[in-house]
Amino acid sequence: MSPEDFDRLQSLMASRAGFRLTRDRMKLAEHRLGPVARREGFETVDAMLGSLWAKPVATLGWSIIEALLNPETWFRRDRPTFDTLGGELLPALSRARTGQPVRVWSAGCSTGQEPWSIAMAALDAGAPVEIVGTDLSQRALEKARTGAYTGFEIQRGLKAETMLRWFEQADDAWIAKPQLRATVHFARANLLDAPTDDARFDVIFCRNVLDDMDPARRTQVLDNLERRLVDDGVLFLGPDERIEGDSVAFRAVAGRRGLFVKSPTAVRRAA
Amino acid sequence: MKLTPRTCLIVDDSRIIRKVARRIVEGLGFEVDEAADGSEALAFCAGVMPEVILLDWSMPVMDGLTFLRRLRTLPDGAVPKVLFCTIETRAERIAEALSAGADDYVMKPFDGEILTSKFAEVGAV
Repeated sequence: MSPEDFDRLQSLMASRAGFRLTRDRMKLAEHRLGPVARREGFETVDAMLGSLWAKPVATLGWSIIEALLNPETWFRRDRPTFDTLGGELLPALSRARTGQPVRVWSAGCSTGQEPWSIAMAALDAGAPVEIVGTDLSQRALEKARTGAYTGFEIQRGLKAETMLRWFEQADDAWIAKPQLRATVHFARANLLDAPTDDARFDVIFCRNVLDDMDPARRTQVLDNLERRLVDDGVLFLGPDERIEGDSVAFRAVAGRRGLFVKSPTAVRRAA
Repeated sequence: MKLTPRTCLIVDDSRIIRKVARRIVEGLGFEVDEAADGSEALAFCAGVMPEVILLDWSMPVMDGLTFLRRLRTLPDGAVPKVLFCTIETRAERIAEALSAGADDYVMKPFDGEILTSKFAEVGAV
């Protein structure tokens, strides 16, 4: 891959996905694009990129974009988040919603481990939930929808007891049981796009997404998240992610890493 | 003040697995001892009870399940967090190990991230 190709990939990722493809990921990018080129019927990555630049961004462009996103995820990643969710937030929200399902959005859910982890926490807490998992990557969503994980994936973050309780074994795969699947719905969404309907959520998870984003796009994404969140809702970012100058829409909750609520300004603006 | 390091006993008949697991577990700040089968492990535990035991299932002399059942009858035998760590991946065998008193279960092959997350789940780190 030539430096020019990499530059163009960088700007493609920034403009279409808001993703910051840093220069140290050049080797990784080449490695990830090999299988895409083979799948799409190109001899080499260079040939595929040549074809990409010659045409408007369509299916091939999106296949390339999704291969370069960061798919890293695991079950119950940052365990305190799920303890807070199941032990405090969901019971309180459930009471406030008087038995109506609490609506949760897992934004940037990758291969689904996060929405399933939310579902397990909710079912354990006896809190009715409707979970929507969205991601930019169709391939990641295809896997998420199967609810099937390898032995390697399933035990990264899950205790064996939890695994046996919520997943069924089929050959080498562990598959989410129907009770779990009944709570989660998957859809493709680009976090750069402003909401086009008025669906709102009580809880939004958008963890380890903003840190990979082009700083110029963070405000836009946070504004879109704010518009999707009810006024008394909460937002989870990764435990080390900060908002600081990116947005005035949210303020951090003291003593709860990664937990944010709407700032009074944002609530007033909505009213 | 010097803190006493936490202790982990690795029980596996494969020297290579013991070596791999030792490197990961030492990385988590544990002092590690090794045993090559259940009988060696039981003798070790009768002397000093470790805080965590990483336990293979199929071993010569005494297998992991037999070791676990005997361990849990020893004075202080309920103390160690026991993580089975084996090639056996059938759901019913995993359930059997858990009901015999294992705190968690690691299916081989595993890596550092899996082992670390398992230690965290049983509250060992």
